[in-house]
Amino acid sequence: MTIHLSIVLFLPLAGAVVGAFLPAARSHWGVLAGSVGTALYAIVLAFDFDRGADGLQYVTDDTWISELGIHWSLGVDGLNVWLILLTALLWVGAIVYGWRAERFRTRQRPALFWFHVALAETAVLGAFMAQDLAVFVFFFDLMLVPFFFLIGQWGEENRVPATIKMMIYTLVGSLLMLAGAVALGVLSTPEGGHISFALADLQQNTLGEGTQQWIFLLFAAAFLVKAPVFPLHGWMPDAYRAAPLPVLVVFSAIVSKVGVYGFLRIVLPILPDASVHFQDLMIAFAVVSILYGSVIAFAQDDTRLVVGYSSIAQLGFILLGIFSLDPKGSQGAVMQMVNHGLVAAGLFFAIAALARRSGGSELLSRMGGIAFRAPALAALLLILAFATLAMPGTANFVGELLILFGAFEDEFTWGLIAAIGVVLASVYMIRFFIRAMHNEPGEGVQSREACALELGVIAPVVAVIVALGVYPQVILDGSEKGAEQAGAAVEQVQQPEVSAIR
Amino acid sequence: MTDLLLADIQGPEIDYAGLSPLFALAGGTVIVLMAALFRGPFVQRTLVPALTLTSLGAAVGLTIWQWETGDLEPIVENALAVDTLALGAGLIFYAAAALTVVISLRDEAVRSAGAGEYFALLLASVTGMVVFASAENLITLFVGIELLSIPLYALCAAEVRRAASLEAGLKYLIIGSLGSATLLYGLAMIYGATGATDYGAIATALDDTVGLDDPLLLIGIALAATGLAFKASVAPFHQWSPDVYQGAPTPITAFMATATKAAAFVAILRLFDHALGLEQLNWGPALAALAAVTIVIGNVGALMQRSLKRLLAWSGVAQAGYLLAGVVVGTELGLKATYFYLAAYLFMNVAAFAVVVARERVSETGDDLKSFEGLGQASPLLAWPMTIAMLGLAGIPATAGFIGKFYLIDAAVDGEYAWLGVLIVVGSMISLAYYLRVVATMWMGGIEVELPSGRKVRPVGGWSPEADARAQPEVTGVAILCAAATIFFGIVPSPLFDLARDVGTSLSHLL
Amino acid sequence: MSPADYGWLVLGFPLLGTLVLAFGWRRLPGRSAGWIGSASILASFISALGALQQLQDRPEEERHIASSLFDYADTFGVSVDLAILVDPLSVLMMLVVSGVSFLIHLYSVAYMAGDRGYVRFFAYLNYFVFSMLLLVLAGNFVLLIVGWAFVGAASYLLISFWYRRETATRAGIKAFVMNVIGDVGLVIGAFLLFDGTGALDYGGVFENAHLMSNGQVTAACLCLLVGAFAKSAQIPLHTWLPDAMEGPTPVSALIHAATMVTAGVYLIARTHPLFELAPTAADVAAILGTLTLVVAASIALVVTDLKRVIAYSTMSQIGYMVLGVSAFAYGAGMFHLMTHAFFKALLFMGAGSVIAGMGGVQSLDRMGGFRRAMPFTFVTFTIGALALAGFPLTAGFFSKDEIIAFTLNRGGLYTVLGVIAYVAAFVTAFYAFRMVFRVFFGEPVDEARELERGHLAHHDPANPMTGEPEDTDVGFPGPEHHIAEREWPMKAAMAPLALLSIIGGIVGIPGVSETLEHFLEPAFEGSDYLDTAPSDSDKTLGLVIGGVISLAGIALAWFLYLVRSATTLRLRDYQLRRVHDFLAHKWYFDELYDAAFVRPMAAAGRYGRTVVESVFVQDVIIGGATSVVRAGSSFARGLQTGYLRSYAALLVTGVAGLALYFLITSS
Repeated sequence: MTIHLSIVLFLPLAGAVVGAFLPAARSHWGVLAGSVGTALYAIVLAFDFDRGADGLQYVTDDTWISELGIHWSLGVDGLNVWLILLTALLWVGAIVYGWRAERFRTRQRPALFWFHVALAETAVLGAFMAQDLAVFVFFFDLMLVPFFFLIGQWGEENRVPATIKMMIYTLVGSLLMLAGAVALGVLSTPEGGHISFALADLQQNTLGEGTQQWIFLLFAAAFLVKAPVFPLHGWMPDAYRAAPLPVLVVFSAIVSKVGVYGFLRIVLPILPDASVHFQDLMIAFAVVSILYGSVIAFAQDDTRLVVGYSSIAQLGFILLGIFSLDPKGSQGAVMQMVNHGLVAAGLFFAIAALARRSGGSELLSRMGGIAFRAPALAALLLILAFATLAMPGTANFVGELLILFGAFEDEFTWGLIAAIGVVLASVYMIRFFIRAMHNEPGEGVQSREACALELGVIAPVVAVIVALGVYPQVILDGSEKGAEQAGAAVEQVQQPEVSAIR
Repeated sequence: MTDLLLADIQGPEIDYAGLSPLFALAGGTVIVLMAALFRGPFVQRTLVPALTLTSLGAAVGLTIWQWETGDLEPIVENALAVDTLALGAGLIFYAAAALTVVISLRDEAVRSAGAGEYFALLLASVTGMVVFASAENLITLFVGIELLSIPLYALCAAEVRRAASLEAGLKYLIIGSLGSATLLYGLAMIYGATGATDYGAIATALDDTVGLDDPLLLIGIALAATGLAFKASVAPFHQWSPDVYQGAPTPITAFMATATKAAAFVAILRLFDHALGLEQLNWGPALAALAAVTIVIGNVGALMQRSLKRLLAWSGVAQAGYLLAGVVVGTELGLKATYFYLAAYLFMNVAAFAVVVARERVSETGDDLKSFEGLGQASPLLAWPMTIAMLGLAGIPATAGFIGKFYLIDAAVDGEYAWLGVLIVVGSMISLAYYLRVVATMWMGGIEVELPSGRKVRPVGGWSPEADARAQPEVTGVAILCAAATIFFGIVPSPLFDLARDVGTSLSHLL
Repeated sequence: MSPADYGWLVLGFPLLGTLVLAFGWRRLPGRSAGWIGSASILASFISALGALQQLQDRPEEERHIASSLFDYADTFGVSVDLAILVDPLSVLMMLVVSGVSFLIHLYSVAYMAGDRGYVRFFAYLNYFVFSMLLLVLAGNFVLLIVGWAFVGAASYLLISFWYRRETATRAGIKAFVMNVIGDVGLVIGAFLLFDGTGALDYGGVFENAHLMSNGQVTAACLCLLVGAFAKSAQIPLHTWLPDAMEGPTPVSALIHAATMVTAGVYLIARTHPLFELAPTAADVAAILGTLTLVVAASIALVVTDLKRVIAYSTMSQIGYMVLGVSAFAYGAGMFHLMTHAFFKALLFMGAGSVIAGMGGVQSLDRMGGFRRAMPFTFVTFTIGALALAGFPLTAGFFSKDEIIAFTLNRGGLYTVLGVIAYVAAFVTAFYAFRMVFRVFFGEPVDEARELERGHLAHHDPANPMTGEPEDTDVGFPGPEHHIAEREWPMKAAMAPLALLSIIGGIVGIPGVSETLEHFLEPAFEGSDYLDTAPSDSDKTLGLVIGGVISLAGIALAWFLYLVRSATTLRLRDYQLRRVHDFLAHKWYFDELYDAAFVRPMAAAGRYGRTVVESVFVQDVIIGGATSVVRAGSSFARGLQTGYLRSYAALLVTGVAGLALYFLITSS
């Protein structure tokens, strides 16, 4: 069956454009329709996707800018199929929530709000689907614009400095990557050949080690800031505090993955020598982030930041898996991207629900005892917490297990240190759960059961988490080929003779 | 006897077709002046601008007629080139001028200087630019620069009742003549060293007779570079631009920011890539150093500027630095990239200036950032073009600015100036700080007030009902048009690329 | 049906029960939830019997049946199925777990009645049983870890079941974190095994284990021990168990006495081929086990909280089991595991009944003279105590002394351990009857008298630890108290256990009946276990010694608490003051860990949040860059004086510089 990725990609934007012509109060219908369409299309894609096949599927490849050798090239493989699905689904959830939750009902200029939301979805999907370096950079940078406006216009207090800080900080990385990308394209053009940014072409002719290294650093700058990773997370706390919740849901769940995804999609295959060369540096970043993020999350009072710093730790794990340069690690990383996307989304929805019961406050010190009259909500949050701390029996555990196995393979010590992070995770997540749900109710807390909307957005996420916990293989099957290809080039560098035999 | 004498004098043979755009402009200038002699609102308000636009239109038409790719022999005894570079540059001038005419329509400057004078000077200046840009000869080069500058001096001071305007004019005049003088010295020395004035001859002279490290020649180059860099407002010769940009009538600022810059860069391209091509190894690094300085100075200078016009002036300096990267590498790719960026730059800048024009006419805080607070709420039709222009100048994807920067970095890396490419993005990072500030001011913060009309808006600095875009449709129109173009060429850049490709063919000896 | 199918059923019923209770919690009136929960466990127990019967029908060498449902995680060499392994060992565990669990469910039906979290309680309880059975049935290490973590989670949920008690939630997080430490240990161990053998299922690992270097195996075993000790509350990972007594008493009986805490013993028995390859690890286990059994027993001497006394005795008894299995006395270890499950569950049930009779008070100091008020409880509790003390011919008597006999038989280091074990046995007998005498003998307290008059004492609800007043709403214990004398389900649960505590030993009387040993043999075939067995005569000798010791201990308790109680107090307050304080502070383990881990981490968190974040991440990295740019900006604008002369000056310098550059570079 032929699926046109361009349609999947632009449906949300189209929906937003339609919505812009509807009366402002109804503009969300357009966006909703667009994103639902995309979600359905993505589901079809995920089912139709051939797990056994090597290489890309549903490829779209037209020349976009021939002078620059840029191709409008999209494709799906094991690395991005689940992320695309996740993106499409979570966006629907975020849109529904943003539209129904009373805190967003009264927003001014709803049409504009929805337009930015849709633009963000299109940009993110583009970044995931892009099979041309320039197109990837294009969407990677474009992604920030809608979030800049969403946080800056519809955010919480002192949103403007926060959003500007985020925009500049992350664009600093992205622009460095732009330079790196152009350099990559130009320098890997064979003598007299025509320049091309298609990833496939870039993989053909690898660069000299020195060149690879400085280009690698430019890319790393972009991806590490985006993730974010200690100590490049300076923009995160303010942005997380300022972002409106429905936006934060997708921002934290999806956008943070684009960076680490870039490592698998671009850096490992195209800059294998540099990846090997900088392996230890990257793993150091990863491990430090794991420990640091966990410890800070443990000391936070603001629930958003507990989750925020915990994602620093989680992304540390993903990074660790990627730079274990071992197929198991990459597999775990891909799996963990999906899992963390799910838990992050669920947790932020839950935080919204908690805030509505603690008199609008999102501080742990103002919560407590909320489980009192809301057992269902408590149960959902409990499962989310368990999944976040990668309790065995959840897919997160399988992901982290693979990551650790990958890391142990040839970085045993680093792996051991990272394993401490698992323990720390249990500390801060259970603390979060207890301080929010258990003990005596804090003053101003009115415990009441989850309303239809809250159940509607949280329960499906939890259901998926549980389902994946029972049968994680479904993801592994899908992503195996992708992970294999991502690591192929590096493997060649590591032991040429082995791969020569293959 | 006489016929015998006459026989000796042989007038240069002239390809009138090639010169036709020039004639159109020069003729237009005269006609506009004449027509303006008749008083009366119709003539002043409608006829004169219409005539101006007509002559510009004619020039465009003739340019298209003359369009012929390839490295053509210069005409008029190698004085002027009518190759695609010249013509392509011309297109930019005409577009800039036409847009300027439109946004000037209700401008104070036009009233106080008189429509005829104002528009005639504009046309004259455009004529000068065409000469300047197509000069294949040191003499024509100088003639061109003077012909384009002198009308501008006058135009800057057009708002005779405003001190700032007069000061700007005066400043521009003095510094400008200083620059021209430097240029003249430089040209003289180059002539002294090579014994030739037309570029082809200079190139050949460098090829055989003259040593590449002849001090006279080198100092000449240095001085010439300075003179031209001055026009292109390249640091450290940029200092006039913030003051002049701020003082001059805003439409003229827009014109200078786009057309003059384009003209200067085309002239630089010609002189350095053609005449002095062989010296590239010498002047390349020097210009690269200038580019670096310019990028840094321009961007840091623009930070914390509250006056939009000043801010745009500084950003213009920074952009000049980016553009210079295309010249430094001295390759066809560089040439194309530069041209492409000049074109993109035209749209982004005019869009921005048009919005400034619209705002400063109705807001008592003039072009101060305050006039833009909550504009997104008050009149989105102005806020959107400004936003797009800012994002474009910052090089955000889906705008022509992104593609342009991409192209420039491409050229820089390709010409072994990768570090310059990195510097360009570093510059862009800094630039975000001030571009985003403008965007944030327009869309974020500020509180709601209810208008008599019942419409809820954010209070705009010195808000007045005319702040509504409807009050001056033509300005808004220009803003929207340019913004649209910025987006369009950011997504479908091929038309510009085709143009750039043709232009690229003009200097064949480039790599 | 093959044994494996029964195995799946054993897993299925509790899971079903959990789901029914979890989704039907709104619509289950009165005690129906309790009955549903009990029924599901009973069904599971019956299936376990089915599995047993099927297994016994097979020839010995075919008593390992693995069955797989689907690929759980299978990629790049890691290959994990959702698979169970049914063999004598797992069947024994199934029977013990499901059997005891059923009785405790039955007990809870009455005991928890009136609690506002009634349904939630049984949902958790069923979930726990499911997890525990998953643990014992797991066919590979990953699934083992899953079950391992699930029981930890269930334990957490039930410890902080009364979640509005801060003491309970704190105990919960403590238990959870320590269990996670154990999980991580297991994960690392699993990797080492995977690395060495390329497999993760028991069969594959044990086959190729010999390929691993001794160091590798030892490392792996030590990692497994981390998991085992965290779960079985062995030193140094034991401090969570006493606090776990915050949970409702049936929970203490089920999880923290009978089943979960013995998982560590099961793990060692299950992975015995590895430990036999790595005797060093086995020795470590044996030593720590012995250490635990002594330390715990010593603390049990002084603790005054009834439930905590039993908790420490649990630690100590598990110490025996660990010692046994690490001395390769797998049969004996499992034997003791089973008998211990019987009498310890019984003791907790009795304690629960007593506490109910005290109206929620747990302190021994306020108890006494319940003999006549609670005859049934008195009898059953005493039976449990006798078994615990190893009174001749009770269940505990045979199992414990068999362990010691094996240990002594190993000789060398193990002789010492065996002797220590005997000493501890004496202490055990003493504290066991310290409880009995202080609770049931002596002057009846008010509550006891009230009860004799037929009225159950009631105090205002309060936290037994801190004495804070409480209400009886969700998250606190319910308003009602239930004692065995008045609730037939509680009787029905305790009576069989009492019986088993007495006669449970017959399955393993040396020389007479060795049923259990023979049954387990297939699980341990080819292991050293069979040839390290002591002769029957040695065993019998051991039994005699053990019997004497336990009688001595009981006698001393009788002397000190009934005959000369005044002397006891004097001993405590004067002669042995120091010792008493030291023991009362539980050897200062909590204080140590608090200082070593908890406080540093909290401090690090605070430091990171306040200093690193603001100074380094914000000021240095962001602020540094910004200030540089700012400085440049002010410089650039500083040049912008507006005076022509300065512009001209700069222009000239620029020209000069440019010209100079050209001249220098070219020449």
